[in-house]
Amino acid sequence: MASSSSYSNSPCAACKFLRRKCMPDCIFAPYFPPEEPQKFANVHKIFGASNVSKLLNEVQPHQREDAVNSLAYEAEARIKDPVYGCVGAISVLQRQVIRLQKELDATNADLIRYTCNNDMPSGQASATRMSDDQGGGSTSLGQSPSDYYYPSPWNNNY
Amino acid sequence: MTLKGGTTQACAACKFQRRKCTSECLLAPYFPADQPKMFQNVHKLFGVSNIKKMLKKLDPARKKIAMDSIIFQANIRDKYPVHGCWEEICRLRYQIWRVEEELHAVHQQLEICRQHYQQHLDHHLPEDHVASQLELGMTPCSNGLQLLDHMLQPQDYNNKVAASLPISQQQQHSFSNSNNEAYNNSLYIDHKDSVPSHLWVEQPYGDNSSSSMAMQSQLDASQQPLVIQEGEVVEDYDEMHPFFDTIDDRQSYVYSQEAYESSSEESLKDTPKCTEHVAENELKNAAACFSLTSVS
Repeated sequence: MASSSSYSNSPCAACKFLRRKCMPDCIFAPYFPPEEPQKFANVHKIFGASNVSKLLNEVQPHQREDAVNSLAYEAEARIKDPVYGCVGAISVLQRQVIRLQKELDATNADLIRYTCNNDMPSGQASATRMSDDQGGGSTSLGQSPSDYYYPSPWNNNY
Repeated sequence: MTLKGGTTQACAACKFQRRKCTSECLLAPYFPADQPKMFQNVHKLFGVSNIKKMLKKLDPARKKIAMDSIIFQANIRDKYPVHGCWEEICRLRYQIWRVEEELHAVHQQLEICRQHYQQHLDHHLPEDHVASQLELGMTPCSNGLQLLDHMLQPQDYNNKVAASLPISQQQQHSFSNSNNEAYNNSLYIDHKDSVPSHLWVEQPYGDNSSSSMAMQSQLDASQQPLVIQEGEVVEDYDEMHPFFDTIDDRQSYVYSQEAYESSSEESLKDTPKCTEHVAENELKNAAACFSLTSVS
């Protein structure tokens, strides 16, 4: 929850860090309480106070807390991993989705093949199996790995 | 602006800052002149001085990768000004949960069909055993149907239609990506109340009252992934970059993104369309089981 430090005597974490007077209309005060100095320190290190201030002014007041929390998350991730930041987590999750989707397609293919073989006489069933294998693999029902598209951090096509 | 004695164009960074682009420009390799928007996004989020500070601390071999991730992060923030990368992470987590649920259901269905097949084989056993097998033969796949109903709860599921759909027609259909997305939309709607709270991200985009709490709970959940992520990312540095050379963004991301961003009202409006796709998938699976039980 947003703190009310702008109405107390204690300056907010941002103004403490920047060594300036915390005014009543300080845009940082509701979101950077003095009890969490590291939060602003991280955000300032990665994004800078002026960028954060501009960003907060561009979003609706009721969305600012979410914006600050997401910036704090991204800043912390970037500090812990200077190369990938939070994008590393996105890459890992994307691969996981692709892997799971492939597994799902393969399982669906097994299920369909299973039910088809159960319904057909054995001669036709083996013919179906052969045509599946010749058709380019049993792992997909009309899908291929290239169908799972995600905005790649490395193609800059986002 | 041009370089001295040459016709090389200034990089997007120097163009934006209206300064001379020299051969020692740190940002020129990462911001080509024909993509000004990319630099604008990075400049807006990080600022030039912060980018240069970060680049100076990195090994030369890692600079390109780091800049790519910074550009990606800035582009995502441009697309989602409020939640940025966190929105993408939550969307992917939800997608993983959805696919795992579907995989679990399909595995169970497959197991049921295997059991039924085994019983079907047993029908060829001597007559002593036929009666006992027939007693068991009708139930497994109908249990499978009930299981799927319980798991997925499509809104317009019709058993009679499923029963009448022969297997030959099922073979002509394929599970396209769009069908899965629509199907997943329906699952998304139907399981609104049962989605784990740390995965539920619909509310922050339209609901003012619960946005802070939802975001906070999700961010709290994010602390652990940060810890896990370190180990995973450090190990996979060399794998990640070449792996993603083969992946490109296409329409299906936009398609899924649109589905993800829809508010609850819009989702409800999409329900009949989604239900149709859900019913189609459900019909295929259900009919497969159902027709097996129709033993003469």
